Amino acid sequence: MIGGFFRIENIEKSFGGNKVIDGFSLNVAENTLQCLVGPNGAGKTTTIDLISGRQKPDAGKVFLNGDDITGRGEHEISRKGIGRKFQIPAVLKGLTVRENLEVAYSREVNALRNMFSMKAKGCAEKLDEISQQVRLTKRLNVEAGLLSHGETQWLEIGMVLMQDPTILLLDEPVAGMTENEIGLTVEILNKLKRSHTIILVEHDMGFVRKIADVVTVLHMGALLAQGSIEEIEKDERVRAVYLGTEDAH
Amino acid sequence: MNQNLYNKKTLQWLFYAAAFGVIGAVPLISDDAFLLNQLAVYGVYGMLAVSISLCWGSGGILNMGQGIAFGLGAYCMAMTMQMQTQAEDTIPPFMLNNGLDSLPHLWQPFQDTTTGIILALLVPTTFYLVFGGIMFTARVSGPFFAIMTLATLSAFATIFVDLQPYTNGVNGISPPGSLNLGETEIDPYSSGAYWFVFGLLVLCTVAAKLINQSRFGLIVRALKDDPERVRFLGYNVAIYETLVYALSGLIAAIAGCCFAVLTQYVSPAQFDVGFSISIVIWAALGGRNSLIWAMFGAFTVQGAQSYVGDQFLNTWILILGFSFILVVRFLPGGFAGLVETVLGRLAKPETETQSENGNLKFSGAKEVAK
Repeated sequence: MIGGFFRIENIEKSFGGNKVIDGFSLNVAENTLQCLVGPNGAGKTTTIDLISGRQKPDAGKVFLNGDDITGRGEHEISRKGIGRKFQIPAVLKGLTVRENLEVAYSREVNALRNMFSMKAKGCAEKLDEISQQVRLTKRLNVEAGLLSHGETQWLEIGMVLMQDPTILLLDEPVAGMTENEIGLTVEILNKLKRSHTIILVEHDMGFVRKIADVVTVLHMGALLAQGSIEEIEKDERVRAVYLGTEDAH
Repeated sequence: MNQNLYNKKTLQWLFYAAAFGVIGAVPLISDDAFLLNQLAVYGVYGMLAVSISLCWGSGGILNMGQGIAFGLGAYCMAMTMQMQTQAEDTIPPFMLNNGLDSLPHLWQPFQDTTTGIILALLVPTTFYLVFGGIMFTARVSGPFFAIMTLATLSAFATIFVDLQPYTNGVNGISPPGSLNLGETEIDPYSSGAYWFVFGLLVLCTVAAKLINQSRFGLIVRALKDDPERVRFLGYNVAIYETLVYALSGLIAAIAGCCFAVLTQYVSPAQFDVGFSISIVIWAALGGRNSLIWAMFGAFTVQGAQSYVGDQFLNTWILILGFSFILVVRFLPGGFAGLVETVLGRLAKPETETQSENGNLKFSGAKEVAK
């Protein structure tokens, strides 16, 4: 297995005696886009929660660049360079699009220093660049709560980009987007993965086919299969899980 | 893009300058000592409303126990003033009645005026830092935090009544003389005292406004919306919450000091739960999202209470409560919200703008411009 850049080792997580993640390991190489797929309840979002610090694993380790980041606080993990986009788009609804992007530009996180700073250095340029990339230049002064669903998704992608993390965790970034919007997202992601490592949770295999370097299939909280999209699509066990041939039909 | 007048920064500052210009000019028009003292006390209420606007309006931290900092500040200041009037080696008379024969340790530092004033600001702020730190790292928020502040406030009220030998219990402390700063005496019934309080009110409001406009302020407004999201952007939310809470406590402590100077009296009434809740009502009526409108809220309610409320006696509380209900129901942004809506309508009739994706987006008066 290549990598060692980002590594999950045998993580486990139970909710109320129910084992949701059961000894899952993952290796992600630098500058690749790895898709995490699996049926509902396979533990995809929980895995993202465990990486980003929203949940603490019961057992196992998470490493970034050789650093053990297991069970650290959300803000610490974020500062290590892991940015996250939520499944239900989480933008700051009461703030304008511009303010959302400004908050996300979190180069300086020290509260006291931020008290004496009116504008972050380099923020304006980055904001221009990102707002063009996510096509929100004309919506900068609009309250984020008034955006359409697709725009909200992009704003959150924009926020993660403003953060400029080494690893992007994207939880269903194209949910609810139109065909056009998905096309654009594919374009952005394919450009991004040249310089960033991306772990993406997705249901839609059509979308996965267009972007994934490596596909990892999760089932019942454990690894089921991993490989290129062609390998995965041929895999008998994956087909069984997805099409339910094991069940009597 | 059309701009809403209300959100133009330059206009906001001009408005602040004009408002403070008018308030500061009062002693030039009137030399009625009683009126000036009363208006200066309103200035103290204004500071309290500003402090609530900072932590509740900007940071979404509903603080129903602002009396903690106000009371602690006022007590420390009254103790300092009391000690200024004590001759060498004498102790305040009430202590003699309570069986003390020497100055307790608690009172020792207040023999020195500078130390006393520093403590008046430092004690409440430190308490807020510790209390806020414990609450916010445990992610206590919303109504739970409000209840904690209320409970703590009640505890303070009880403690200050119970520690009678040190605080003179329910009677409180009434220093016989006014505060001396070096060679200057601050006579509470003078234009000097008015300007002294006014200067501090301007200082607090401008500082709070600058904080709101800083990156710190932006992050604080962001965490009011969604603390979880802000955490995932790398900010330690608890630190931001604790600091904004402590800063609002510092402003309330300054207000407490001014109150003691102006009234030459402090009692457990400063820790009264009803009083702390009325601070929240002032800010809500005026508009908690705007510092200066929260201040106007304090002036309006307290002014009305003094000049109209007397005629209604106890009915006044009912009128106040009813108007609070009306504002919460029909004007969630307070007077400020009303002004914002009106200015928004004036500046820009509702329009539809074409979004970049080709969808028609409705963007009415809520569109904000910097």
